[in-house]
Amino acid sequence: MVNDLGKKLARLAFEERGADFLLVMREEHGNVAPAMVSKGEDVGVVRLEVPYQLVTILENIYPWISKGKIAVITRRCDEKALAELAKRKYVDDKRIIKIGLACTEEQIERCRCEDPVPSHVDVGEPHAGVKGDELSARLAKMSQKDRLAFWVDQYKKCNKCFGCTLTCPVCFCDDDCVLEERTFVAEPSIPPGLSFHMVRSYHMIDKCIECGECERACPAEIPLLTMRKLLAKDMKEVFKFAPGDEKTVSPLNTTLEGELMEDECNER
Amino acid sequence: MAEFNPTILAFCCNWCSYAGADLAGVGRLQMPPNIHVIRVMCSASVKPEYVLKAISGGVDGVLVLGCHIGDCHYMTGNHRTAKRMPLVQKVLKEVGIDERRLRLDWVSASEGEKFQKVVTEFVGEIKNLGPNPMRGVKW
Repeated sequence: MVNDLGKKLARLAFEERGADFLLVMREEHGNVAPAMVSKGEDVGVVRLEVPYQLVTILENIYPWISKGKIAVITRRCDEKALAELAKRKYVDDKRIIKIGLACTEEQIERCRCEDPVPSHVDVGEPHAGVKGDELSARLAKMSQKDRLAFWVDQYKKCNKCFGCTLTCPVCFCDDDCVLEERTFVAEPSIPPGLSFHMVRSYHMIDKCIECGECERACPAEIPLLTMRKLLAKDMKEVFKFAPGDEKTVSPLNTTLEGELMEDECNER
Repeated sequence: MAEFNPTILAFCCNWCSYAGADLAGVGRLQMPPNIHVIRVMCSASVKPEYVLKAISGGVDGVLVLGCHIGDCHYMTGNHRTAKRMPLVQKVLKEVGIDERRLRLDWVSASEGEKFQKVVTEFVGEIKNLGPNPMRGVKW
């Protein structure tokens, strides 16, 4: 069985854009899961309302797909994530075909997204972004002491499930994640303490594309996206840099004069 | 109440700041005894993780000292530190810890007096800030 959306996507990807594979969210036996469809195969019942970053899946399976072009459904944040991954040579941009998906108003609202429209809209109606985040405005008004109390309270709910790192499209240190090491985060401790969250915040500071996947994955409902947004603002303030553009280099990987250095992520 | 005696970590790079600290010691310059010097090969080997772990563990202040820009033994090591530390300060600020608890400064091997000045100033500043609020937090 193929739904209209599936037909449309298959036509777009395989016939118009010459892809060999198509990565979609597909419904099977009442469950929705990511699926890789090869050319000529039945696409099945495609679902788009599931707000999942397919780029995270793409990043994980990419090393096993040595040839052929992969079409993937990209929201604006997926596009940015792909740019960050391509910049660090985790994926080859030429092998990826983007099928632009515009988010619904509801999804934009949930991500407090300022920039939700992909560069090329193929599916969905584009909606304008929303400005500002209610929680960050509230935090800005708080005193330092209250802010610490707020975050400690939130982070105490953490049960160290690593959901935020696993679903993050730009968290790519795989087996070498410092958060899984006992040097920085004591192994048996739950909640893991403030350093866990601060180290993660720091690692994300020049990569986070504000997709909100960490916040959605978090079973403890810690407002992680708000923290990312606050730090993104600081990053802009200090270095005038925002992640998500393939042409720019993270300021952490250049010298003070702007010459290239080795990627900080490769340094251990 | 007893006077607050902060615990302060000072990461000193082997080639400049550690030698500068040595010079300050040889010259018998007076400075507060609150700092614990950790010798690292380069200020760039002070990973932000170390600083964040120290502060979340209850250390009152962290001092990162390296060679002056352009004098790094490893050419661009201190450039990396210069870029990292402002961001680490932002991470601390957003969580609600005073960003002045982390300070980055450059001390060369011949600047024993500057080392004394930086340490005295920093200890004074931390004394004004009071104990690290993370000390009282039970996880």
